[in-house]
Amino acid sequence: MAGPRMPDTSGPNLVVLAQRGEADALGALYDLHYRAIFRYFRARVGNWHLAEDLTSDVFRRMLAGLPQYRPMGLPFRAWLFRIAHNVLVDHYRKESGRMSVELQETEQQGQSAADPASVVEHKLTMEQAYRALFELEPSQRDVLALRFLSGLSLREVALALNRTEASVKALQQRGLAALRLTLVPE
Amino acid sequence: MSQLDDLLEERLARLEAGEPLEACLAGLPEAQVNSLRKAALLRAVSDADPVADRIAAERRELVRLAKENKPMASQSPSSAPTGKARPRWVLPVALAGGAFGLCSCMMILSLLAGLAGLNLLSPERSVAQNPTPVHEGTPASPKATGESNQGLSTPVPTAVALEAPDPQTAALNEPHGVVEVQASDGTWTKVQAGTMVKAGQRVHTGALSRVILTFYDGSQARLGPNSEVSIDALDAQKSGPRVVALTQWVGESDHDVATSSDAGSRYEVNTPSGTGKAKGTVFHVFVSTTLLVRFDVDEGAVEVTSLNVTVVVVAGQSTIIVAGQAPQPPVFHISGEGEVERIGTNWRIAGQNFRTHADTVIIGDPQVGDWVAFEGRALLNGTRVADKIVLLHRRFENTFAFVGTVDAIGESEWTIAGRVVRVDEVTRIEPGIEVGDLVEVKGGIAQDGTLWAASIQPVVTNGFRFTGVVQNITSEAWAVSSISVTVNVSTTIEPGIVVGDVVQVSGQILEDGVWLAQTIRRVPAGGGPFEMVGVATSLDPWIVNGIELATADWTEIDEGIEVGDKVKVEGRILADGTWLAEKIKLWDEDEPVRFAFVGRVNSINPWVVGGIPLAVDDNTEIKGEIAVGDRVKVEGVVLPDGTWLAQAIKRLDRNRGCFSFSTVIRGVDANQIVLFDGQTVTLGEGVTVEGELNTTAVIIIFGCVREDGTFIIVTIIVIGQIELPPTPVPQPTTAPPPSTGSFDITENNQTLTLICNGNSVTIRGNDNHITLLGNCGSVTIRGNSNWVSIQSATSVTNTGNNNTIQGP
Repeated sequence: MAGPRMPDTSGPNLVVLAQRGEADALGALYDLHYRAIFRYFRARVGNWHLAEDLTSDVFRRMLAGLPQYRPMGLPFRAWLFRIAHNVLVDHYRKESGRMSVELQETEQQGQSAADPASVVEHKLTMEQAYRALFELEPSQRDVLALRFLSGLSLREVALALNRTEASVKALQQRGLAALRLTLVPE
Repeated sequence: MSQLDDLLEERLARLEAGEPLEACLAGLPEAQVNSLRKAALLRAVSDADPVADRIAAERRELVRLAKENKPMASQSPSSAPTGKARPRWVLPVALAGGAFGLCSCMMILSLLAGLAGLNLLSPERSVAQNPTPVHEGTPASPKATGESNQGLSTPVPTAVALEAPDPQTAALNEPHGVVEVQASDGTWTKVQAGTMVKAGQRVHTGALSRVILTFYDGSQARLGPNSEVSIDALDAQKSGPRVVALTQWVGESDHDVATSSDAGSRYEVNTPSGTGKAKGTVFHVFVSTTLLVRFDVDEGAVEVTSLNVTVVVVAGQSTIIVAGQAPQPPVFHISGEGEVERIGTNWRIAGQNFRTHADTVIIGDPQVGDWVAFEGRALLNGTRVADKIVLLHRRFENTFAFVGTVDAIGESEWTIAGRVVRVDEVTRIEPGIEVGDLVEVKGGIAQDGTLWAASIQPVVTNGFRFTGVVQNITSEAWAVSSISVTVNVSTTIEPGIVVGDVVQVSGQILEDGVWLAQTIRRVPAGGGPFEMVGVATSLDPWIVNGIELATADWTEIDEGIEVGDKVKVEGRILADGTWLAEKIKLWDEDEPVRFAFVGRVNSINPWVVGGIPLAVDDNTEIKGEIAVGDRVKVEGVVLPDGTWLAQAIKRLDRNRGCFSFSTVIRGVDANQIVLFDGQTVTLGEGVTVEGELNTTAVIIIFGCVREDGTFIIVTIIVIGQIELPPTPVPQPTTAPPPSTGSFDITENNQTLTLICNGNSVTIRGNDNHITLLGNCGSVTIRGNSNWVSIQSATSVTNTGNNNTIQGP
């Protein structure tokens, strides 16, 4: 099964090179993390174009913040996703909590009601996943999006969201339980 | 629950490692089976990319910016209001810029008096503080240019300032707080960034507010809080005659005037009491509600005229116009910050005495022990006058703050984290606190170590409390100093609050970033304290919760804070809306019962500081050689039994304050310079000199006052060259002119220095440079184009033309 988890090749060397101003290293970091961050935003804001904008904002902030980044603190990916989380928080602050959901209406409810195992075989579309995630509490949505759509480890999620691993585990468990109600008929 | 979580996590790890789903499901409880299936579903969703073109374009832009070694546009720091390299004190924004500028003095008479009080000159290096300013010219603004009046906070610093589209238009940039423009029909409209104004319009700022007028030629006028100007004439040509004429009715403004080579150019600021004209100059104008006017000049010169008397105010000088009077002779300016040692009519700040007057602006109700910024003037008789005193932070010494659980609540004392804290009628206690609640207590430490609580309030881990100006009110959200706070039925709102009022808002920051207000109440205008917990999204400049914070060299900042860390920030919102941080601390939710305070060491074995017994252990870090009587900062944790365990005790070598003044060099000899008042300064290795020190150079001297009162020079900066040769200090052996009762000067084109000795002086000649020392009787100027400096006179009459008088 091909999961979305990506190899964490954004090791210190690439980051250090980017900090030195190596444009190629910066581009590599961009390539490495763009999709995961986009998926996170896609799951959180629903709006495709907004997710793109917020993803761009993350990399702009990354560029601005790179000189201050120290590898002995947060792992780079957790640092990057913490920026992403902050971008999201700022977005909501600016929007005063308004949310723009732009999920496609081509969703087939019948597929949602299928047996989980068979659904796995069919593979969910992103739209299905996002629709399901949108039914969750924001904190649960954060955790599930980061864990399973963006491919972060438990620890990375905890660092990105500034939570304890235990808290992330609990949110993950509750989120998965709630998600089941949406996708799987009880 | 946690075991199940662990089990699920273990299976997830196997799934991620590539094990088949069915194998991972084996043996799982039913509830976990479905959870794992859902996780597998999410991991396996078919991917969809954003538009490839956009990704590629974004990538190219990112790489391009990296190559240019600059952040993208939206990350650009706030545009500085001026491009001047002039260093400033740490809080220029606190004092609205220009007036806060550094002192220089080209007035010979001023020099004689101005340095009279500074007999403490020493070339030693400052030990602790660096008075070299930070945040030069960069206003700390929590919002971005272009924001609407709804004032939503954004974490991104301001974008590039808009330019005026034509010479007859000015652009309003970086509006902060309440900024309004009056149209020709008299109606006032709240403005947004980039609003254009023309001649005939007025611009007004409310409390905690500011705005920048940018003219077509690049000149700028920056309005401070509670200010109003009208645009009388505007034709700001970049080449040819430039005309900018403003009338400032009240408040403060800073002007950065672009240089114009056209002789017909004028940039003038009229006031109800006089007019200032400038070319290529940086200056500040203050108009009080009693129509007292002050012009302060940072660069170049400004001609200030009232009642047909003109004085030329040059860099480092100030002049005052009392309503209905001629401008007072320019004197030199002194500014800085320091500890308040005495208050009243006569203040003592940073070891310097200042007299206050009816129009002295005092913000924040500073008390003895507090730290303030000040600006003022050194009069010819040596007296120093404070024109503005602004509270920067309350005293650190013998104050405490800690977080703990309430163990008991009594009439006159509470027990918090095992520690008895006294309360009285002035203790501000948030209603509803019960035993078991986690609270933060702040207060003072009595000599016997008793803790007197000034405030007890619940701890909120994602809370905020700040003072701001109300910009907009709806049933669902308020805009307060650019922060949008949500209100709901649980929000307690003081009745009668309207737009423009200054309020304190407290509440919580929700998971989705919404600032939910719990209370909104009116407070006196002029700024106030704030505190909040949030994530630092930038360290340079500091941005927490989207708020850009100004810091000072005394701001306490925990080491090791990184972007993304959760921090607690405390500070004050200054009069122009700037958020000045006093403390930026890492927020540790797992160890909230901490304390920190500053006090003097009473004893070392056992440790008692500020009357409080302290426990120490092998892990306690003692920084510096500490002796009884030293001032130290103690940080530690409150143990369950109420014992205060010190984790770090650090000696503070804090200065009493730092300030700057200007003077002129009279002579240079090897590594010594002689100032105009005759004092000699030895240039030790620790003194940083910028520029070439030579005779007649105008210099700014920066320094700090040690605890023992010694003034330590840190930096000397050359800011210009005096046009006139320095006038020798009169020596007792110098034979004065015969005391005939009056001097009658009929010569032309002469440079004269006279000691009046009570005589009257009549100047009939033209084009003279005349310095009158001592006490003169009446001084009458009948000739033309004379430059006359008068130390003291019973009266001054000017019936000639084009005379420049710098007189008593």
